[in-house]
Amino acid sequence: MTRRPGIFLTAYFWIVIAYLLMPVLIIVPLSFGRQEFMHFPPRSFGLRWYVEYFSSTPWLESTFRSLRIALSSCLLSTFLGCLGSIALERGHMPWRGFLSGMFASPAIVPQIVFALALFIAAVALGMTGEELLLIVAHSVLGLPFTILIISSALRQIDPTLERAARIMGAGPVRGFFAATFPSLTPSIVSAAIFVFFISFDELIVALFVMGDKQTLPVRIWTDLRFELSPVIAPISTLMVAFTVIAMGIAEFLRRKAVQQKSQMGKS
Amino acid sequence: MRRIWAALLLGGLMSLSTASVWAAETIIISGSGGSLTDVQKSVYQEPFTRKTGIQIQNIATTNRISALKAMKLTGKALWDLTELSGPEYQQAIEGHYLQPLDWKVIDPENKMPKMAKREYGLAVASYSTILAVRTDKLPKGKEMKSWKDFWDVKDFPGPRALQKGALDNLEFALLADGVSKDKIYDVLRTDEGVDRAFKKLDEIKPYITTWWTAGAQPVQMLANGDVYYTSAWNGRITKLAADGVPARIIWNEGSLKPSFNSIPVGAKHPKEAEQYLAFTISDAKMNADFAKQMPYPGFVPKLYDYMSKEQAESMPTYPPNVAVQFESDNSYWAKWRAKLDERFQAWLLQ
Amino acid sequence: MSRSLSTRALVLPGLAFLLVVFVVPVLFMLKVSFTGETAAGDYFSRFFGSGAYFSVLITTLRVSVVVSFLTLLVGYPISYFIYSRPERQRPVLLFLVLVPMWMSVLVRTYAWMVVLGRQGMVNSLLLDLGITATPLKLMYTTGAVYLVMVQVLLPFMIVACFSGMSEIDHTFVRAARILGASPGYAFRRIFLPLSLDGAVNGFVLVFMLSMGFFIVPALIGGPKDTMMANLIEIQVEQADWGFAAALSVVLLVATIAIMFLIRAASRRFTFSLAEGTRP
Repeated sequence: MTRRPGIFLTAYFWIVIAYLLMPVLIIVPLSFGRQEFMHFPPRSFGLRWYVEYFSSTPWLESTFRSLRIALSSCLLSTFLGCLGSIALERGHMPWRGFLSGMFASPAIVPQIVFALALFIAAVALGMTGEELLLIVAHSVLGLPFTILIISSALRQIDPTLERAARIMGAGPVRGFFAATFPSLTPSIVSAAIFVFFISFDELIVALFVMGDKQTLPVRIWTDLRFELSPVIAPISTLMVAFTVIAMGIAEFLRRKAVQQKSQMGKS
Repeated sequence: MRRIWAALLLGGLMSLSTASVWAAETIIISGSGGSLTDVQKSVYQEPFTRKTGIQIQNIATTNRISALKAMKLTGKALWDLTELSGPEYQQAIEGHYLQPLDWKVIDPENKMPKMAKREYGLAVASYSTILAVRTDKLPKGKEMKSWKDFWDVKDFPGPRALQKGALDNLEFALLADGVSKDKIYDVLRTDEGVDRAFKKLDEIKPYITTWWTAGAQPVQMLANGDVYYTSAWNGRITKLAADGVPARIIWNEGSLKPSFNSIPVGAKHPKEAEQYLAFTISDAKMNADFAKQMPYPGFVPKLYDYMSKEQAESMPTYPPNVAVQFESDNSYWAKWRAKLDERFQAWLLQ
Repeated sequence: MSRSLSTRALVLPGLAFLLVVFVVPVLFMLKVSFTGETAAGDYFSRFFGSGAYFSVLITTLRVSVVVSFLTLLVGYPISYFIYSRPERQRPVLLFLVLVPMWMSVLVRTYAWMVVLGRQGMVNSLLLDLGITATPLKLMYTTGAVYLVMVQVLLPFMIVACFSGMSEIDHTFVRAARILGASPGYAFRRIFLPLSLDGAVNGFVLVFMLSMGFFIVPALIGGPKDTMMANLIEIQVEQADWGFAAALSVVLLVATIAIMFLIRAASRRFTFSLAEGTRP
């Protein structure tokens, strides 16, 4: 469907993007303010809160901890979700409905109840404050989303191609990777994105089980109880800037690669 | 068979953890986290570690009563010392989650006031829920002085806020209704008294822009000009003024609340925790340093000798401020909070 | 047969993981909560006996359903737009949608306060243009809750819809066009039903996430915008585990019931779309 979208749809797209980016447009100028309080527009400008952020070990540590946990849980959860979805969709599973329901349950049980339950288990086993515990917890919270997305993709992909590959002598693993996996990639990527951001912004479980190893949302929350430190503005700004730059570089490299390829084709 | 399964599950979880082993000299303190803990670290904990060699690990916690309950259930105490609000302290005693303190170790010279020395806790800090006012929004020539004025929407028009929940609001309502400070809880202990408080709240309800839930909210709303008058925790209001926002604390009829440090039953290092408590009250100057950075002062005598008058005036336990406030009744709220909050919730939805 | 068995075995790692980390701890917690002095039934009668609690459940359901519909209405065309762009542009456009996710929901909520406050940007603009004489009340309203929740959840919906669309086998649409269907007809009869799976996924995901929301409604909602998750949080704070567990069970049942309804409705809808007769 590479039909050109109409002007209305294009305009609509940019309006919605403006709506989505509104908080970013507010927070970025705030991060360059110098006051004690978040006041918009800032009355005076400076790098005060950036200095504060980079000179604060707790803030930096919690930023990297959150990134680490989000990345690990998105890998683990997507992997488990992928295997589970294949079994559910291609294994002629008995009790399929019940199993799908089970996998959806972490998204339906209130997080605070899961947090308390996990806390009791973790205290009993003496493993509170472990990053691994939170990775495992976030992976479970991500499972409903990975299973839902990847299963529904598998339902739409025609199994004939994989069957053909198997008949031609490919093993089950090779057959899957050659025939099914390529069309599954968009869903796997979007499932991974889901889990990453669910973990990156998860507060309640982390607050219960993480002890002295605070994640970024926990750090923001504990600050918020007494005051809202403007340090959160530079953090958010840096995150956005970092991803924009990374995306820009990737896009630049890709274009260059395409260019080189076409030049090589000419010579 | 069931046991084998249980063993397998446990084994699986255990192998995931790299069992944390603490050196004998580390005490674990559960507190508020954030910048409050940062200041505690630099003022109390680092000097304490230098002096005694005992390390301190801070963990940020909420829902402490639930956490203590879970620890009791599993028979494993994670914390050596925990911060508790007044009502939490009372609930923790009723749940038998705390162990009594040895005052001979903590306060050998017996210099602390009685109010700060409780059987299961040391009152280490205090804060007040006070009335905060944007002075530039007041009608010309008028001053807001009490909760009666807060309720007076004719003479003091403008958007207002209060905390979401029954705590403090019932007291404020009774004060606005003419009950004197020392009679509040006598009145609240009767059914008619509670009805009276809710009836008074009916009057102000349409004028409340929002019912705040996080401590930073009223401060931010005053800064934005979203509300002109609000209840708030005393902490940051003075700094608002320093930042160019004309806001002021009305100490009159504020609700003063001590918060406690207590040792959970089964704590692994109760002796070291008591040593730490003793250290924190050993030097009034140190306490003054803390209060200057975080206006939640403790009860160490002579604290105010180390502060300028201006600084002292922004503290909830400064004697002239104490004189005009009332002390929030922990035992009342520990007993009735759940019920009153339920009623408050229903009242909000009416 | 053996092949299907070995495929089935793939469910085991995830299932074991789910059981150990989630199911066992949660069941244990429910058991502990319901074995106190109070009988489990009393907690439920406390819930259903009080109109206030029941209306919180209704609010939660209403907010979640409205937010899910709004994100679908706003998000589906966006996904379609991204999908209709050349393949090399898609990652960049999707990336734009995901940028706000790097900001904590807490931070974003505060940013919206700046926009919607009494002296916020919207009000200043309206006052300057003379459209209103007094500032409008935008914050602390149910409308503000919808606006912010949709902003937070929209990227999830767009990603779900988009991944549904990108699995569509294009030969169907092309075939329809070759056989003489108009673009609009091909869209309605072929593309829309096929992409509906992704849209329903998005709807379900957003719905599940909304049912558990409490930070946004608590910070910028009006007095009546209390959600179930908020109520449960209060019970845990008070260490009233029994009532917290009862509230959770109520929320769980309500969510599952609604999800069944969504699935059933979407199946009928897809069917009626695809079964239409030729013009």
